[in-house]
Amino acid sequence: MTSGPYNYSYIFKYIIIGDMGVGKSCLLHQFTDKKFMADCPHTIGVEFGTRIIEVAGQKIKLQIWDTAGQERFRAVTRSYYRGAAGALMVYDITRRSTYNHLSSWLTDTRNLTNPSTVIFLIGNKSDLDAQRDVTYEEAKQFADENGLMFVEASAKTGQNVEEAFLETAKKIYQSIQDGRLDLNAAESGVQHKPASPGRPLAAPPSSRDNCAC
Amino acid sequence: MITSKMPSLRIDQNDLKCKNGCDYFGNPQWQGYCSKCHREQMQRQRKAEKASSFTSTLPRSDQRKSERGLKLSSHASFSKFEEKRLRQSETLKKTNLLKFNVFKKNITDDHEISTERRQPEFKIPTAVFEGMKADFRVRFPSFPPQIDRDARGFVHTFILDVIKWAAIMNVDELSERVQKQYQRFMKHMETSQHYASVDSDARELLIDFVEKHAMTYLHELPSIVFSPSGTDDERQDRAMSERIQQLSWVGEKHLECKLDRNNAECRRLLYKAISELLGMDAARWSGAKLARVRRCARHVLRLAAPAPASADDLLPALILAVLKANPPRLISNINYVTRFCNAQRLMTGEGGYYFTNLCCAVSFIQNMTAESLSMDKKEFDCYMAMPASIGGSAWAAALSLCGATREAEEQSALAAKLLEQTKEIQREAENMANNAATFEEQIAKKVQDVLAKTPLEIKPRRELPRLRREGVGSAPPPTTEPGPARTSEPPALLNEPSVVIDETEKLNILGFEVVEERSPSKSPQLDRLSDLKQSSSTELLTPSPMVLTPFDCRSLDEVLTPDEFPDNIPGLSDVNYDIDLSDFSADTSLAEDPPAPDRRRTFDPFAPQTSKDSYKLLESFDEFSIVDNARESDPYEVVHRPDPFGSVLDNDEGRASILDDSGSPTAACLLPSPIQPQNSAKPT
Repeated sequence: MTSGPYNYSYIFKYIIIGDMGVGKSCLLHQFTDKKFMADCPHTIGVEFGTRIIEVAGQKIKLQIWDTAGQERFRAVTRSYYRGAAGALMVYDITRRSTYNHLSSWLTDTRNLTNPSTVIFLIGNKSDLDAQRDVTYEEAKQFADENGLMFVEASAKTGQNVEEAFLETAKKIYQSIQDGRLDLNAAESGVQHKPASPGRPLAAPPSSRDNCAC
Repeated sequence: MITSKMPSLRIDQNDLKCKNGCDYFGNPQWQGYCSKCHREQMQRQRKAEKASSFTSTLPRSDQRKSERGLKLSSHASFSKFEEKRLRQSETLKKTNLLKFNVFKKNITDDHEISTERRQPEFKIPTAVFEGMKADFRVRFPSFPPQIDRDARGFVHTFILDVIKWAAIMNVDELSERVQKQYQRFMKHMETSQHYASVDSDARELLIDFVEKHAMTYLHELPSIVFSPSGTDDERQDRAMSERIQQLSWVGEKHLECKLDRNNAECRRLLYKAISELLGMDAARWSGAKLARVRRCARHVLRLAAPAPASADDLLPALILAVLKANPPRLISNINYVTRFCNAQRLMTGEGGYYFTNLCCAVSFIQNMTAESLSMDKKEFDCYMAMPASIGGSAWAAALSLCGATREAEEQSALAAKLLEQTKEIQREAENMANNAATFEEQIAKKVQDVLAKTPLEIKPRRELPRLRREGVGSAPPPTTEPGPARTSEPPALLNEPSVVIDETEKLNILGFEVVEERSPSKSPQLDRLSDLKQSSSTELLTPSPMVLTPFDCRSLDEVLTPDEFPDNIPGLSDVNYDIDLSDFSADTSLAEDPPAPDRRRTFDPFAPQTSKDSYKLLESFDEFSIVDNARESDPYEVVHRPDPFGSVLDNDEGRASILDDSGSPTAACLLPSPIQPQNSAKPT
């Protein structure tokens, strides 16, 4: 609970999904640890899986939930999805099986999140191009067919990691601006926190049904 | 809903009649029935409940028994006991439900009939708000008091609202309502000008604060928010607990997590995680429960170190921790948090994340199959059929070892603490001894100082005039008498009566009235004594010169001219007073004597003391001896008789008569004290 650089107006909840060993945790650490190094070296481990970014002049706190990818936990990990504003779906470009499982991950995500949830497909381990098992084009096509955003990234080198997270945030912010995302719904995965009181809301909440009884 | 019934001010007579239509008037307290119908209704209801609880519990237990035929008999009996307990708690819950139904009824009545009887039965204890006030002061010392009042007011309405609706709504609706309350408070903070200065982080803390206090109180109420009536949370708790018992054989191999039970550090971390899980039940509001879960998960995550912790590692290890912990009321706790925790916190934040993991772990345990453990179906079934006490002994042993280690550590810490305390006490004791020693020294020094200042001089015994007279004979007045009186006139003057009066005092101590003393004169000594007596204090004390005996007249005449005499009377009484002082000094031990309690006032510590024995004997003497003597014909008998006085008298001069002035112990001790001259010097 700090002020100053930690003043933010929104909290977005992300989840990272994908098979075991595709590098979900590494992506997360690559993204969040960077924050520690660049912004605030003394606050290492200050808060779990979070990083504050800036989109269109608004500070946004990303809260990223890593999920267990083992097949046997698939059935029980539904509660992760609840209230996620963004879902990063990760596969390993060197392992075809992880790519093949994408459709089932996608089904889960679609079923368990709200329609405005932004899904971003990430092909991880792009640094291991020599062992590539899934071509960029193939994955790109899959993404286009399902209306997903797509990038190939490397948690090891950090290539495109930042972009993937930022693009997702931009997309979510866009849907807030468009009013497609209801901030007051608990499931939206977005919390609005007016940093300074009285700041006008970009997208004021449309309908608020107070208790009718 | 109840309130959908339109409130009307006009009440039809039929509305007041019993609902059964038995022509008696009904009462809202009895749910609209008359007393008779209500009682019948209640009995019917109770019977139905009993029947339903039996039918619902029995088949399940049968099923379970067939399922686990190898269950130990002790375990079975325990489960029977559990069954009974559960049934009891369920009936309890139902009665609670009934109670709150009555309460609900009253509230709706208030709506319908009058607004005067608001909340007649239910009142939130003031302790809740007292605690809240104190907590607010600690947590938000800089906030204005309006916010404190505001928050308390909100908690009040919140609690009442939840209790009111808990009886009518099912748990999901209630949960929604609670969430709306949180949102309402958020909204309130945004709009109210009290909160204008409060930034968003503080607002989060404030809403946590409100939630904490409201839910802490509600949590204590039976069946309102924690395993609420109308849910089978409690039954699920028990099912879960049994399930975990059955799965006690599941180890790290099955879950494919990299735990090494031979590693002490690993064991320690797991043990810590388990204690946190067990502590979750004790926490009362969601925030505290989440904090427990968070700490637990952190311990579990450290198990996976040094690799960066990931959910792939966290979940299996957490499942193992839950299996080994078998936390009490797990499902109830999870449901409580899910339903009534501020949803926004549960959705984001570390606590929410780990809680979600815990939920996943729990649902994994519930749905665990052979496939989910990637093992053979037969093997799995075999394990499941195994008595719960056999399986998982390795981990159980490892953990109990850990527990024992921890206990030993605690004990040794306690022992160390006690040792420290003992040392401390010893130190203090030594200190105290030192103090006592120095105190003693100081006192000794002081005493010595005092003694040095006022040295005790044993002056040669002054020959008393009458003793000399005794020696010479009886008739002629001592010629030497004026000598000392003249050399040092005032002391001599004072000294002379001093002895005389000492005698009187002694006799007075002995409880003898002067008058009494006069009458029986048996021996010449006694006679003389009584003479002296006569001539002594009483006469001297009387201002009138008429009563003076020749002796005293003479002695006075030697010093004073008759003209001066009346003027000197007060001086004489002064003298008398001084002598009294010295006399008291002799009486220190007698000061405790009831006959002369007032003498204590002038206790003189520096006066010479006679042995206590002598006083005791004198006391006894006081009681009977003299009187006896008076009755007996031969006075010498008394004197020489080996009676109690003997011992005392032996001290001084053998078997002399006690009544002998020179031989009397009191005469010895009643020597003028060293202080006396100073005192007597004053008036002169």
